[in-house]
Amino acid sequence: METYLGIDVGSVTTKLAVLDEHDELVNHVYLLTQGRPIDMIQEGLRETRKQLPADCDVCGVSTTGSARYLAGVIVGADLVKNEITAHAVAALHYFPDVRTIIEIGGQDSKITIVRDGIVTDFAMNTVCAAGTGSFLDHQALRLDMSIEELSQRALASSAPVRIAGRCTVFAESDMVHKQQMGHRVEDILYGLCQALVRNYLSNVGLGKDIQPPIIFQGGVAFNQSIIRALQEELGMEIIVPPHHEIMGAIGAALLVHEEMATGGSSSQFKGFDQSEVKYRTSSFECKACPNNCEVARLSLNGKALAHWGGRCDMWERVAAIP
Amino acid sequence: MRVSTPHMGHVYIPFKAIFKRLGVEFIMPPINTQRTLSLGARYSPEGLCIPFKMTLGNLIEAADMGANTLLIPGGDGICRLGYYGKVQEQVLHNLGYDTEVIQIGVSEQKFRSLMSIIRKVSGDAPWYRIISAIRFGLSKLASVDRVERVVQKVRPVELVKGTANQLYSHAISAIDKADDYDTLKRVEVDYINQLERVPRDKQVQPLIVGITGEFYVLLEPFSSFDIEQELGRMGVEVRRSTFVSEWTKFSFFLNPFGINEKKRIHRAARPYLKRDIGGDGWESVGEKVLHAEEYDGIVHLAPFTCMPEIIAQNIMLSTREKIPVLTVLCDEQIAKAGVLTRLEAFVDLLIRKRRAHSGRAQGAAA
Repeated sequence: METYLGIDVGSVTTKLAVLDEHDELVNHVYLLTQGRPIDMIQEGLRETRKQLPADCDVCGVSTTGSARYLAGVIVGADLVKNEITAHAVAALHYFPDVRTIIEIGGQDSKITIVRDGIVTDFAMNTVCAAGTGSFLDHQALRLDMSIEELSQRALASSAPVRIAGRCTVFAESDMVHKQQMGHRVEDILYGLCQALVRNYLSNVGLGKDIQPPIIFQGGVAFNQSIIRALQEELGMEIIVPPHHEIMGAIGAALLVHEEMATGGSSSQFKGFDQSEVKYRTSSFECKACPNNCEVARLSLNGKALAHWGGRCDMWERVAAIP
Repeated sequence: MRVSTPHMGHVYIPFKAIFKRLGVEFIMPPINTQRTLSLGARYSPEGLCIPFKMTLGNLIEAADMGANTLLIPGGDGICRLGYYGKVQEQVLHNLGYDTEVIQIGVSEQKFRSLMSIIRKVSGDAPWYRIISAIRFGLSKLASVDRVERVVQKVRPVELVKGTANQLYSHAISAIDKADDYDTLKRVEVDYINQLERVPRDKQVQPLIVGITGEFYVLLEPFSSFDIEQELGRMGVEVRRSTFVSEWTKFSFFLNPFGINEKKRIHRAARPYLKRDIGGDGWESVGEKVLHAEEYDGIVHLAPFTCMPEIIAQNIMLSTREKIPVLTVLCDEQIAKAGVLTRLEAFVDLLIRKRRAHSGRAQGAAA
């Protein structure tokens, strides 16, 4: 069977999705990145190999997410794509008539406006990450509950408390203050969800023409109370696709399928054995000019495979020499 | 007297040429790097914009190199940049530098202001020498800009990525070294020819993206993540109407005679914005409206906390002319990786839009 592999290495989670030649989802893996992207990519490959039917032939690999370049070198990607495009492509595949895509991930949040099947506009949080998944995680931790529990308990709120949500640090102060005043935890939690949604709509969603059908995807779409808050705030129905948390990986797989179909060349995929290779990462400060760029290096058996992070392409050229 | 001035793109070239001709020692601060920015940011109020921080970094570095007379743009009616000279002078004095700060008026009677400042700095050199020096400096500036326009066209289509940038940097240093009009002309023609001969991919029709926004970040690549180069690398042809040589041509020589090059842009902006809002906000809106048909998209560069551009950004979101706009905020706290992700996605958007459009046109023809 012909298959296409999409790998989405995000700040918080690592996702792998395998599609067949009819773009049907064959298999997927969802892992926490835990600050160890290489380990998780390898772990993901191992899991995928275990779960895939034996007759699968990987005909194309694409990487996306904030570690897309790193992942691309490790697996031998045919296509490295940014996560904004990957998410939009996946949403359009499942919902061709979608007009708005809301996506809230671990550390970023974005909105994509689609008209007649074409992305016409998008925005992504720039100077601030208030109102993303990491913040909810942090609050759940502080209240000593799991993120799933936070989501469920907030749903039980009857009189939500207004939380100041512009800055996450102040939101936390405000929550502490409301707790000390004696408000119910449920009401505070739902207030927090509402603050997150308000923040999202007034920052990322500012000036965007939000029209239904609205797709909500990304890890935060697991959270029932955020969905409820979005629905209340927008006054519109919110659709959460079944595989919303791996849409980036699915989008990457769709894109590489399309690419391989038009390109005609064979895949650069290094194979599932990459999961057993020992990669090393390191970083150093380049002293070639006063920019002092922090350059990251990926190496294998003492040989540098790739460099990132320089302002100029000096180190990229070094890595290009075999 | 040891004179210096902050960087903004290649404006050091004309300054260097002018002072050399007049026999005034010109101290060129190191080109903009992270060090400049860190230095400037450290001594700047946090809420000020990146032009302030970068230029303060330049001034501190220049003062460290022994400059004792610093020329800073200033004047009223621009935006708060008009006060920057005064504030920077204060910062430098607080840091213990005993430097004289002279503001070059960029609001009214710009040419007269520049001439009299240069006369003062040159120890009352005769007017004809001053005029001849400025003329030569401006010729160099015009050469640089003419070469850059060609570079913008070659970058997206060159077969070997980076060729145009390399030629460009060689051209810059050759123009900088040229000491007379003949050499200057020869160097310019030579490099433009070389650029024209760079092997290109003739099949591609590059996307066209207009770059607009605040003057300084438009012209100082370091402050705006080298965005033009990055777009070029992604195969996008960049169009920008702001060039220093154009600005000097109009504001020094033509505006006093009532010729206003911005009239067209302002007229285009009028349905949405009827007046100047400081900085280049009015022009940003106008550029979007004016080029909505011609360009595939627009990248709008704005320093973080820049009020005129924030106003412009919000107006640009909702004009009737529907051309995609990506606003990129420039600030020392913003990482380039994030900017590149957005830029890549923006270019994808434009490619898919164009593809769908041409597909539809073909469908209609069939």
